[in-house]
Amino acid sequence: MRRALRGGTPLSAALLVTIIALAPIFWMVATSFKPPGEYVSTSLRLWPRDPTLVHYRELFAEGFLARLWNSLVVTAGSTALAILAAFPAAYALARLRFPARLDAAFLLLVLIVKLLPPIVVAVPLFQILRGLGLLDSLPGLILAYQVYTLPFAIWMLLGFVREVPWELEEAAMLDGAGLPRRLLLIVAPVMRAGIAATAVFVAVLAWNEFLFALLFIQTPSRFTLPVWIATFITEDETFWGKLMGIGLLSSLPVMLVVGYLQRWLVTGFGGTGR
Amino acid sequence: MSRWTRLLSGCTLVGAMLVAGSPEAAKLVVAGRDGGYGKALALAIGAYEAANPGIEVEQLALPYGGLYEKLVINLREKAGGIDVVMLDDTWATEFMAKGWLAEMGEADADFVAPAVAVSRYPYPDGTLYALPFVGNVELFAWRRDLFEKYGLAPPTTWTLAREAAAVIDEKEEGVDGVVFRGVKGNPIVTGFLPILWSFGGRIVDEQGAAALMSPESLEALEFWLSLKEYAPEGIETYNSSEVRDALQQGRVAMSIELWPSWAPSLDDPAVSKVAGLVEINAAPGEKTGPAPMLGTWLLGVAADAPNAEAAKDFVAFVTSPEMQKRIALEVGIPPTRASVYGDADVVAKYRWYPNQREALMNARPRPRITQWSKVEAILGDYLQLALIGEMAAKDALAEAHARIERALSR
Amino acid sequence: MKRAPVLTLLLLLAPALLLIGLLALYPILRVLALSLFRTEYGFADASFVGLANYADLLSDRFFRRATWNTVLFTLLATLFEVGLGLLLALLFHRRFPARRWLMPAVVFPFVLSTMVVSAIWRAWFHFDYGFLNNLLRALGLPPVKWLFDPDLALLSIVLVDVWQTTPIAFLVLLAGLQAIPEEVVEAARLDGAGRLQILRHITLPLLSGHLLLAALLRTIESFKLFDKVFALTGGGPGNATETLSLNVYRSAFRFAEVGYASAAASIMLVIAGLLAAVYARRIVQGGRG
Repeated sequence: MRRALRGGTPLSAALLVTIIALAPIFWMVATSFKPPGEYVSTSLRLWPRDPTLVHYRELFAEGFLARLWNSLVVTAGSTALAILAAFPAAYALARLRFPARLDAAFLLLVLIVKLLPPIVVAVPLFQILRGLGLLDSLPGLILAYQVYTLPFAIWMLLGFVREVPWELEEAAMLDGAGLPRRLLLIVAPVMRAGIAATAVFVAVLAWNEFLFALLFIQTPSRFTLPVWIATFITEDETFWGKLMGIGLLSSLPVMLVVGYLQRWLVTGFGGTGR
Repeated sequence: MSRWTRLLSGCTLVGAMLVAGSPEAAKLVVAGRDGGYGKALALAIGAYEAANPGIEVEQLALPYGGLYEKLVINLREKAGGIDVVMLDDTWATEFMAKGWLAEMGEADADFVAPAVAVSRYPYPDGTLYALPFVGNVELFAWRRDLFEKYGLAPPTTWTLAREAAAVIDEKEEGVDGVVFRGVKGNPIVTGFLPILWSFGGRIVDEQGAAALMSPESLEALEFWLSLKEYAPEGIETYNSSEVRDALQQGRVAMSIELWPSWAPSLDDPAVSKVAGLVEINAAPGEKTGPAPMLGTWLLGVAADAPNAEAAKDFVAFVTSPEMQKRIALEVGIPPTRASVYGDADVVAKYRWYPNQREALMNARPRPRITQWSKVEAILGDYLQLALIGEMAAKDALAEAHARIERALSR
Repeated sequence: MKRAPVLTLLLLLAPALLLIGLLALYPILRVLALSLFRTEYGFADASFVGLANYADLLSDRFFRRATWNTVLFTLLATLFEVGLGLLLALLFHRRFPARRWLMPAVVFPFVLSTMVVSAIWRAWFHFDYGFLNNLLRALGLPPVKWLFDPDLALLSIVLVDVWQTTPIAFLVLLAGLQAIPEEVVEAARLDGAGRLQILRHITLPLLSGHLLLAALLRTIESFKLFDKVFALTGGGPGNATETLSLNVYRSAFRFAEVGYASAAASIMLVIAGLLAAVYARRIVQGGRG
């Protein structure tokens, strides 16, 4: 009996937390099925009286899939670029001795960039992208997102590289493996959980990014989902149904990935705290 | 190869493919407002595409502040991403003086004169850089039924309006006396300007120097602040949609400002509880007569537009009498052409159009200075600080004046 | 640590260096330089004013308030998020039914786009029709001016931030708890230590690295705060919720005073640099120790 109670207290606490965490999301889902007449209400009723799919039909008719594709492209591109550039850098920082403590200097630079409020570099970045002919394009956005994603990836991967036992590499070296082979065949596979966790966090950053997408993309057909979401809040009217529908649709892919990888997400942080 | 390295190389491949090929289709990008204006543009774009099968038009619909920022950063950089620009007439001086807009040729005589004057640089008879698209003029709305119920005189002066607000606010259950836009930036300033002007205050003088600090301005500001007592709770967060909802739901007796594009829904029984009860005319006067404020939206072509010729053709199409009439009838956006104001169908649909036309013909534009956006942002900040009671009226006015002076000197 | 030829180091760092140099270092240097000029946009129309922009900033009530708001927000958000994150981590570190299913639910708010989060809370905070005030009225309590009471608005934004990003602190701390060897806790229990004693003398000290990490992570993000304020209050009422990021944005894009905005941005950079130094020390030490 006592054991049951002790098992029950954490459960009820966790249920309470879950309800608080999910209530606004439940409201989001419910509102996406509400006909416009039910938005403005002083009742506590959450579920719509008269559910409708009209908002979803309109979202698909107005080009949800094209924006979804844009977001997928930008997210996949920025994640891949960030991991590919960050992995060798993180390895070097963790494993190799730098002359004159340049590693500390580089880390400091990476961290300043990580701490950098993006608004600070928005105008110069605009000019750089224009110079490269990448303004108003998805590759341009992928490049610009490295301001957020690259420092994050370097910093996170750093901890994981340190956890790869040096003996493994030593053994490979005795077999005559050079650095590129060791990186690809020993270090990367051993820290795959860490790479996965990093990739997920980087992807979430890119998936939800708003400011740069707002400033650097002009053509509506190239909008990513967050910028498209903002177009449903107009000065005359907020399209709550569509807004919440797109909120749900745009969160589902991330939720699926995070749910699938949740074990790695937690272990992913294990190495970074030390 | 592990699962993860495979996945990574897959991502890279996708990325590389995308960087390699992003095809550029020839099309027109139109940057404009959202909401009702956006609907009007969408309607025009649909008609234009139907009439010109070879051309594809993309519409960028943004809120007021977002549109200004987007336009400035793109036009200044000559980024070439936008062909047609929809601009508030208060931005026109800046955009035209800096050479961001292409010359437009000539406007025909049917356009309303004050709206054409703000499309020129220098004001009012220089080169034409835009065509008037939305014939907005700031109006005033009041509930005739409530005024009659309490035997109140029509609000022809601001003092009368405030007296009425006090009476109705106290006596009519569930109805506040007055509503206005309290959000900082452009909304709060446009609400305040007609009061400032009719009390004899002004923001800049004829030479373009700061002239805000004056006894008249202070009186106007104190008057405006005194209205808060009769306004709904949370007026600081009210923007157009809140003001319109308050009017439609019958929760307010008066609105300091009413833009013509908000008006049609007030008479639509499907959404409005006060259909036919709201009187719409030029704002009250006080020391001087009524000072209706011009708020036209213009259409111009970016100086760096990739498709300038098609863009000009599009602007001419949207501002043509036929299209202006369709937009007025179907979306309720006010036209810029005298002929449309005289059109029988249009007048039959909107009972306040004679008042609106009268106000438009006599409308006064905001100062024609290149720094107006800055000035407006500064004034908006301090008006709100005064409105939420964080600064005394006098201090707010003095500090706003000093900052405007500094902004104008740059 | 082992020695490597400089060329190897360079090759490994090249992609990252190139990207960071192009996308961050050049913009940072440009911002620092522009802060000494009075300009609407770039160097073309600039006039050199020395430190005048900085002097003006110090007497600018909006900048001063923005600094204060940013500090206050950062402190409050970090405190609540790490505190709640710790409680959640301790809770989910225990075994109970359905734990596997409840955890993703608790983490869900973090994966939502900030635009969606802001939209939801804008609706919930609405004075007349918002869910929170409907709830208060139903309980017979007076409605609250969540977003337009100048004393409350910033706290409302803290609330949204806590709701959205506590999961980050939670995940970090849960990872930390899982890294503590079972035997240590078990040994203490056999010595007769109570649950609270174990928490105070064993768990928390061993968790201090992760606690600091979570706090730093949240400090950094809170310090940059932009989009939530932009979408929820626009910095209002008055300047009650204006943050430094928003202040820079407004100076640069609304007021077209890029020199002035750059000076404010440079001050942010210095603060960011100081935080980074604290942080880097820990990481570099972590590597050496």
